[in-house]
Amino acid sequence: MMLLADAVSHYGNWLPPQLSTHGDKIDQLIFVLHVFMAALFFGWGVYFVYCLVKFRARSGHSATYEPVKGGASKMVEIAVIVFELIVLFALSMPVWADYKNKPPTEAENPLTVHVHSKQFEWQFHYCGPDGVFGRTDPKFISTSNFIGLDEDDPHAKDDLQFVNDCHLPTGRPIRMEIFARDVIHSLSIPTMRVKQDAIPGMRIPIWFTINKDATTAKVSEQMVQTFSLGRISWYRIRHHVAAQDYKNKAGDIILAKDKDGALGSNAAAGKEILQKLRDAGFTEISLRPSNPLEIVCAQLCGNNHYTMKAQLKTHTADEFEAWQAEEIKKKNTELEIEF
Amino acid sequence: MSDSAIIPHDVEPHPLTGMYNGKFGLWLFLASEVMLFGALFSSYVLLRTGAPEGTWPRGEDILNWKLAMLNTMFLITSSVTMVMAWAELKMNRLGKAKQMLAITFALAGAFMVVKYFEYTDKFHHYQVELLAPMAHDGHDVMKITGHNVKETEDSVSIEPDAHGADKSAKHAPITIERSKIKRVTNFGPAHSTFLAVYFTLTGLHGLHIVGGMVVIGYLIFAADRIWKWNPEKMVNRVECTGLYWHFVDLVWIFLFPVLYLL
Amino acid sequence: MSGAHATDSHAGHDHGHGHSHDHGHGHELPFWRKYIFSVDHKVIGVQYTITSLLFLLFGFALMWVMRFQLAYPGQPIPIIGKMLGASLVDSSGILIGNGYNAFGAMHGTIMVFLGIVPLAVGGFGNYVLPLQIGAPDMAFPRLNMASYWVYLPGGLIMLASFFTRDGAAQSGWTSYPPLSVVNIGGQTWWLIGMVFLITSSLLGSVNFIVTTVQLRVKGLSFFRLPFFVWAQLVTSFLLLLAFPPLEAAAVMQLMDRVAGTSFFMPGGLIVTDVVQNQYSGGGSPVLWQHLFWFLAHPEVYVLILPGLGIIAEVIANNTRKPLWGYKALVHSAIFLGFMSFIVWAHHMFMTGMGTTLSTFFQFTTMVISVPSVIILTCFIISLWGASIRYTVPMLFALSFLPMFAIGGLTGLPLGLTASDIHLHDTYYVIGHFHYVVAPGTIFAMFAGIYYWFPKVTGRKMSDLLGKIHWFFSFIFINGVFMPMFFQGMAGILRRQYDQSYQLHGASAQGLSMMASWSAWCLGLAQIPFIINFFYSAFAGKKVGKNPWEATTLEWSAPSPPPHGNFDAVPVVQCGPYEYSVPGRKSDYLPQNIAMEA
Repeated sequence: MMLLADAVSHYGNWLPPQLSTHGDKIDQLIFVLHVFMAALFFGWGVYFVYCLVKFRARSGHSATYEPVKGGASKMVEIAVIVFELIVLFALSMPVWADYKNKPPTEAENPLTVHVHSKQFEWQFHYCGPDGVFGRTDPKFISTSNFIGLDEDDPHAKDDLQFVNDCHLPTGRPIRMEIFARDVIHSLSIPTMRVKQDAIPGMRIPIWFTINKDATTAKVSEQMVQTFSLGRISWYRIRHHVAAQDYKNKAGDIILAKDKDGALGSNAAAGKEILQKLRDAGFTEISLRPSNPLEIVCAQLCGNNHYTMKAQLKTHTADEFEAWQAEEIKKKNTELEIEF
Repeated sequence: MSDSAIIPHDVEPHPLTGMYNGKFGLWLFLASEVMLFGALFSSYVLLRTGAPEGTWPRGEDILNWKLAMLNTMFLITSSVTMVMAWAELKMNRLGKAKQMLAITFALAGAFMVVKYFEYTDKFHHYQVELLAPMAHDGHDVMKITGHNVKETEDSVSIEPDAHGADKSAKHAPITIERSKIKRVTNFGPAHSTFLAVYFTLTGLHGLHIVGGMVVIGYLIFAADRIWKWNPEKMVNRVECTGLYWHFVDLVWIFLFPVLYLL
Repeated sequence: MSGAHATDSHAGHDHGHGHSHDHGHGHELPFWRKYIFSVDHKVIGVQYTITSLLFLLFGFALMWVMRFQLAYPGQPIPIIGKMLGASLVDSSGILIGNGYNAFGAMHGTIMVFLGIVPLAVGGFGNYVLPLQIGAPDMAFPRLNMASYWVYLPGGLIMLASFFTRDGAAQSGWTSYPPLSVVNIGGQTWWLIGMVFLITSSLLGSVNFIVTTVQLRVKGLSFFRLPFFVWAQLVTSFLLLLAFPPLEAAAVMQLMDRVAGTSFFMPGGLIVTDVVQNQYSGGGSPVLWQHLFWFLAHPEVYVLILPGLGIIAEVIANNTRKPLWGYKALVHSAIFLGFMSFIVWAHHMFMTGMGTTLSTFFQFTTMVISVPSVIILTCFIISLWGASIRYTVPMLFALSFLPMFAIGGLTGLPLGLTASDIHLHDTYYVIGHFHYVVAPGTIFAMFAGIYYWFPKVTGRKMSDLLGKIHWFFSFIFINGVFMPMFFQGMAGILRRQYDQSYQLHGASAQGLSMMASWSAWCLGLAQIPFIINFFYSAFAGKKVGKNPWEATTLEWSAPSPPPHGNFDAVPVVQCGPYEYSVPGRKSDYLPQNIAMEA
């Protein structure tokens, strides 16, 4: 599918990369629909333009009072309805039903994460190896304990909490329970084709599985892109880092490899750096996003709605377990130090 | 004057609908009113079925259904007198018709007076919700209801309601620290979703009663003049007002059991 | 005279250009009763038109500022940046988040409720409908006047909120709670303004329905009505029945904001780290969404139907043949109206809806696309065998067709839940509905203005300026909205102050430059129209009763029509589109027997 091939590895002007097991079907539906829409529009369009030319008013030409026979149009009409029904029953409903009705079973060993959304951040609560979420209560909320975890609860010993930082395993079903603390938010992971409103007073589950190979490291590599320095806008590359070092003639580093923020923190600073690169003789640069996967908020939630995003990091299942164990150790050491 | 003939079917019924313009217009208006009150009733249903077990109060516990029963009688009677006013006009008895309109007006006024007492009673009755159970009157309670609330920065004092056999006995005022209090509210709309719906539904209904009273009042006031100018128009205006009035009455017939009895 | 009269029929008339007729009573109404508090449907129609066009311009201007922020995030707004208030910009004139959201919410509200509907229904409906059915005025002229004078204050109340300390409403035109309840800004004014607007709309819709049913002249049966009248009739039913739930919801949200109720506030809310104990809780944010969309979906058909009505008239007139499939058009419009009440939750697919409910709404959404397709197809087939005159109204009407097609077709991926997962709340949605409303309805409005201007003023608008207006508007309006489908595919979300802040957005943010420059050029393209509109009203070429050689009844009245409309009550002899009837010398047969000559 030529239309989608490019989208797989880069963000561009069409579908973003797709890294989940159910997302291909969604992309396929979008593709099929657009082919249908284009066909219909083209068909109508040809007929339309033909009429505009053939039946324009001119001397010696008058309109026909009798209506033209509607046989062909009735066929098209029926074909449209049949197509829509096929798309609905064969392509949309099954995908939606799977998405909604088939939560991962116990046997599939899903990872459950509680996601708390508030103005303007995402908080992730992991239950740890014991599989039970520690009790939370608003009265425990503090700057270091933003989900309000009751540390006295034995189940809370192996619980982890992060703000705007989400780690997930690939190849293993993930179940997220979404909460909203103040207003309606919406959890959206574009690269996983996941979107779910977070509504205060409700606890809404969603589930998906990330493709086994889609670890952050691999995805990062795939997303290296070459940009021409001619007319690049800083906004296009503001979240990127260099894939290699770029030095000027004297050997000083203009743009360091993998250095966050090296491209400048605003448009003015960015313009300067790009100019330095041009002055050093470069016509193009290789960049990749510093954090290729994001979780964003898709429902207006206030004046800083656009800033509400979390970084998503994916690991293989084993790497994830290792990471989790490390984090739990770190947390308990810190807690001990506190006491 | 013959100006009124310029708009066709202003008074003469249309062959297709069998109605003059005003009557048709009023039925359409009533259709939109059904949607308005219907939306509120639907919201009531949604909120009530969605409420967790035990959190939705029963109307008969908080509201005075006896007074509401009285109000129901007032409204039903006023609908009858409204029809009678129209009938008297049809029989060319303007004086009697004006009397019937006046009685309708008075009954509507009585309804509003009862409502006034109902509302003010609610606004003067308070509830203090606590963060933790507190001993009161022999049990541990999370809520204390009463009157004469005085609020300061640090505390709230309230004259608790009497419970048990001697309802008239007054309790001495008690003072509770702010730190123990979750919320202080009167039994107004903010109290609970039930009362929010109650006040919105009855308030909107009350506004409709007042609107109707304004029109009926105007008709009584201008009756002589309109009757002299175009008697058929007077009959039609009373008929249309009557239609509206029956609708307002009908809304109450639904409101009363839904809010007060169920 | 006193208010005891059914209608004030004195010697006034509508617009002050053209001649006046004395209707036998010898009274001249004072200026303020002739032109300000007039009960004449034509004056009221003009009032609605001018007021709504001004609101449309204002709503458009809000978007010019927003589009600057979108194309050049974080840059000071040129020229007016430092002049805007503290609720909108910071000290260097850069738009702030609150300001962006306020402009966004008000842009939507103003365009939909203060602009398009009053223009399409209050303006065109009021002016043309009684004329097209041969009536002397609306059934309830004073109610008609009241509906305008409730609309205007409602609109002004909403605009006034810009001048309060915290600025205008800023929770989207959709005003979802809890945000709309806890947010700063003029949301309360917005709600009060909505109550006024809904009341105005209710008064109007009752009038339209009674007028259409009861005041048709002899011979004008339902299936001889111009499609414009059918479109207005169905629209009025939608307004009558769909608006009240929003009025109820607006009252409920008002009470949440002002009286501390919890209709839409669930328990346990923590806003900026403060537990919201002052609310009782127990409310449901989703309840607002149901009530809002119960209106707002029929509302979008209110936005398109009058436009379809205008297009029908202009196409029939400029093809010189009857519309193809008149009966199908009428049945489709009625079916569309009916179906519009049962699709609303397709705006709510992402709220946690289960499969049963979402299946029902997906199905009804697919079904409702059928009458729209039928209507569009009938219009396109009407071109076959025609003799097409490329007049300015026809240019707008013809370009409407593919634009409406794009808008309608792009609704398909949104109406199916699976594809909606990716596209919900992205720029794809914005592209979709703008195609239907902007190059869709607004083009239809322009077609109507160019078409009926001669009837209202007795003068024609300049063709040259009209063609320039059309050409550049068509190019630039596509320039604004076509990029949005690509941005939506890339995942760029709506209501984003800075589209490049999110990684997937940064890659497609460049398209915003194209959209913004197109929007500013589109604004410039309206200048020929504004000049044309006012200049031609006073100095345009004078015309007689029927400059377009049209068949429908309004063209048998003088231009402009006097109070009471017709010299003699029309008598209808045939259907509304008897063009090029075989065996006749002239290529049109007017509906009014008296026009034949």
